[in-house]
Amino acid sequence: MEANAAAGNHRSSDPEAAPEVRPPSAGCPSPLLEAEQQEILTARARILARPPEQAEAAAERIEVVEFSLAYERYGIELSYIGEVYPLKDLTRIPCTPRFVVGVMNVRGKILSIIDLRQFFELPDKGLSDLNKVIIVRDAAIEFGILADAILGVRMLALSHLQPSLPTLTDIRCDYLKGITEDRLVVLDGGRILGDRGIVVHEEV
Amino acid sequence: MIDKDAAFLQRLLATFRIEADEHLRKIYSGLDELEKAEAAEQRTDIVEAVFREAHSLKGAARSVNLAEIEALCQAMEGVFAAMKRHEIEGSATLSDLLQQAADHLGRLLGAAGGEPDGEGKALLADLVSRLEEALPGENRAAEPKAPRAPLPPASPPRDPSSGPLSCVAPLPDTAPLHAVLTETVRVPTAKLTTLLLQSEEMLFAKLSAAQRVAQMREARASFHAWEKEWARVLPLMQQITSSSARATAGPGENSGAGTDPETLRLVEFLGWNREFIKTLETRFVSGIKTARHDSRTLDGMVNNLLADMKKVLMFPFASLLEILPKIVRELSRDNGKEADLLIRGEEIEIDRRILEELKDPLLHLIRNCIDHGIESPEQRRANNKPQRGTITVEVSALDNRVVLVIADDGAGIALERVRAALLKLGSLPRERVEELSDQELVPYVFQSGLSTSQIITGLSGRGLGLAIVREKVERLGGTISIETFPDAGTRFRIVLPLTVATFHGVLVRLGEHAFIIPAMHVERTVRLEREDVKTVENRETIHVKGVPVSLVRLAEVLELPAPVNRAAATDMIQTVVLSVAGTRIAFLVDEVLNEQEVLLKNLGRQLSRVRNVAGVTIIGNGTVVPILNAPDLLKSAVKRSAHSALPGIAADTRQELSRRPSLMVVEDSITTRTLLQNILGAAGYDVVTAVDGLDACSKLKGADFDIVVSDVEMPRMNGFDLTAHIRADKRLAELPVVLVTALESREDRERGIDVGANAYIAKSNFDQSHLLEVLKRLV
Repeated sequence: MEANAAAGNHRSSDPEAAPEVRPPSAGCPSPLLEAEQQEILTARARILARPPEQAEAAAERIEVVEFSLAYERYGIELSYIGEVYPLKDLTRIPCTPRFVVGVMNVRGKILSIIDLRQFFELPDKGLSDLNKVIIVRDAAIEFGILADAILGVRMLALSHLQPSLPTLTDIRCDYLKGITEDRLVVLDGGRILGDRGIVVHEEV
Repeated sequence: MIDKDAAFLQRLLATFRIEADEHLRKIYSGLDELEKAEAAEQRTDIVEAVFREAHSLKGAARSVNLAEIEALCQAMEGVFAAMKRHEIEGSATLSDLLQQAADHLGRLLGAAGGEPDGEGKALLADLVSRLEEALPGENRAAEPKAPRAPLPPASPPRDPSSGPLSCVAPLPDTAPLHAVLTETVRVPTAKLTTLLLQSEEMLFAKLSAAQRVAQMREARASFHAWEKEWARVLPLMQQITSSSARATAGPGENSGAGTDPETLRLVEFLGWNREFIKTLETRFVSGIKTARHDSRTLDGMVNNLLADMKKVLMFPFASLLEILPKIVRELSRDNGKEADLLIRGEEIEIDRRILEELKDPLLHLIRNCIDHGIESPEQRRANNKPQRGTITVEVSALDNRVVLVIADDGAGIALERVRAALLKLGSLPRERVEELSDQELVPYVFQSGLSTSQIITGLSGRGLGLAIVREKVERLGGTISIETFPDAGTRFRIVLPLTVATFHGVLVRLGEHAFIIPAMHVERTVRLEREDVKTVENRETIHVKGVPVSLVRLAEVLELPAPVNRAAATDMIQTVVLSVAGTRIAFLVDEVLNEQEVLLKNLGRQLSRVRNVAGVTIIGNGTVVPILNAPDLLKSAVKRSAHSALPGIAADTRQELSRRPSLMVVEDSITTRTLLQNILGAAGYDVVTAVDGLDACSKLKGADFDIVVSDVEMPRMNGFDLTAHIRADKRLAELPVVLVTALESREDRERGIDVGANAYIAKSNFDQSHLLEVLKRLV
């Protein structure tokens, strides 16, 4: 608390005013030179001055699950993910749009599986294993997304996300949270889950 | 018979006690609030609520013949009704009186079913008369005749042993108050539903246990084969051992008769080996026995568990029907009609999930009664009918099912209008419509798009309603029928299963896909000669019991890729005749596998409604199989045939006989496998799939193929080994092999060529047309 207050003071004051900050130890005999001491104190003050900034950054950080799909890397916010399940015993459901791969049985509950490449209308590119299902959900809906492999979970600072690339003009843009420097396409889970277009409701 | 009735009454009483207890608690808390409430508006709401509780309790008591409770409730209800109309105001004396009445209700409930004693009777009479006196017409707010002890603030007593509450004449312990209370537990339904889902999963455990037993039995058959082979070599073995024995007996003669020590050792080993395997067999057989026993035990346990779980989720119809009075009142007011609502049998219980699904259809039928059924008061008077119409909702139990009847005493359905609407709809030829008798015409009201209403009102007239009602009811495994009498009214009769439970379905196969068709819509399955298919007006038909029925391909209706199946190319075809509301169509399938019990599961929220598919079920081997929606199928079939003449089944399949190149896809990833299968199937190949190299090897033995497309990285046997295996086999040496792989390095490519693959395609730059071109070159 005190440290924060001191840091605050420090920040608000002139850089020239820094020497005024003296630790209680200043009176004690010290083997360090005055200038050295001053340098350390300034550095310390700088570090102390940082916490509020860090807190701000933490608020804008998101945890994403990184996965690969058809030779591209995607990320989706961890908070939308229920679990990751191996794909087995998939049952195709006739008369469904192309992006619906089928359904599978997850502990007694039937879950539909979606192929994002089809949903995003990406051109078919390559053949991949698609052996994993990422189960995404919110209060209203739940379904699985096909993935080739789960690469891990990582923290991303939102400020590091680039809104989009001029080259990314396909439908993905609408569901994009951003793209990282290392070209990880971070999807907006909320927008995908909330999209009415993903719900199939068709009468004959 | 009497015993059965008595048992039924006991069950009803038990349910009643739980229900009554809830009502009573609400009455108590309402009275409590009423004493505290200041604002008039707030009081009105509370009075309304308590009034409803007393009313429901009265109804419930009547249904189990508890006249005393009914009488007391009736009296209380009268007071509340007067309060509602603001004819009397709440006072301390009145609220005391009501509290006493509630206390006495509690005692009556505790004793419900038993004989009331004299004192209780006297108290009841006293309470009833005092409640009646409180009403305005009588001696309004009269001073009570009997002196009363002041009451403590009322709160629902929780301790059943607390004995009688303070009241006019303290009663001896007639029965512990709320004895039922401790036997009920409130649990959120969500928790129960999860539990039920999990118990339903046990069904799969049971079915797979049975299947494991069957597999073990099959495996046992190989022991017999082994035994047979042994029987053939046994004499030879004996010959060798005996000749060696002879050799040792007489060392001088014939020492070189094939009985050198090595052979002898081998023979000895074989003997030991035989004994060893025989022991294994014995252990295996006893293993089968235990497994069979376990499977049977599991079967019983799971069945019991499921049955009990389902009972847990049973709710009385009352929870659904209680919304009706208000709705009927409001709807009749809005439509300028007068109608009374009669509800019977609301205490009958049914699966909560059915109740939930039933809400919309029920409301729709009630709307229908008011909008189409009940006439205006003037018209009713003109027709010599009571001015107020009556809508009856009656629930009754019938074996293991529940019958829900929704009837009105209105005008009945104007059949001539149905006929006119049917003509306008144009789904049936004019002559057919005109031929229909009135009786035959009635079911058509369930047809989608048919409305007899000339105007579209807020209530109905879009012609979708009854079709949706039927769909919902049928989804629940129920049936709906209708009877209508001119000027006497209309009766909808819905028969429902007690639980969502299971219904019967016919399992059919289409290529590699399996589907369930609900048995209730399957009129029959017909197997016939391909020659029996006759073309009438460019449509194919078959004769079912002398009546022509149009024939369509199920695969086409389901928009599946053209079936690629050699077994189908026989002279016999298999059809399933479906019939819904008078329409019959025969569907061509590859095979009818069996009929079995199925449990409908929804497809999840994302697939809220899929054309032609009602849901899925899990069958014995654990696979999830789609359940088809028969009414949708018929509609789709009609639509399709309206768009385009069907390609001839007879001719078409003949063409299939003239051969398509056959191809095997070997791939462990299910998505890739299916993708390849679809691409190649559409490109005109007859595709068979295998899940890995070993699977492919065994399938290659069974049939001839023109080409193999294989993944490289697979469990058990990879693509390289498979290719090598194929090259090593004399019969298969010339079979072209295409490797499609994620291994893209030069070494891998070279290895592929080394083992003898004809082409090597990298998955990362997989391109459909490229693959097809390569295949075309190779075949």
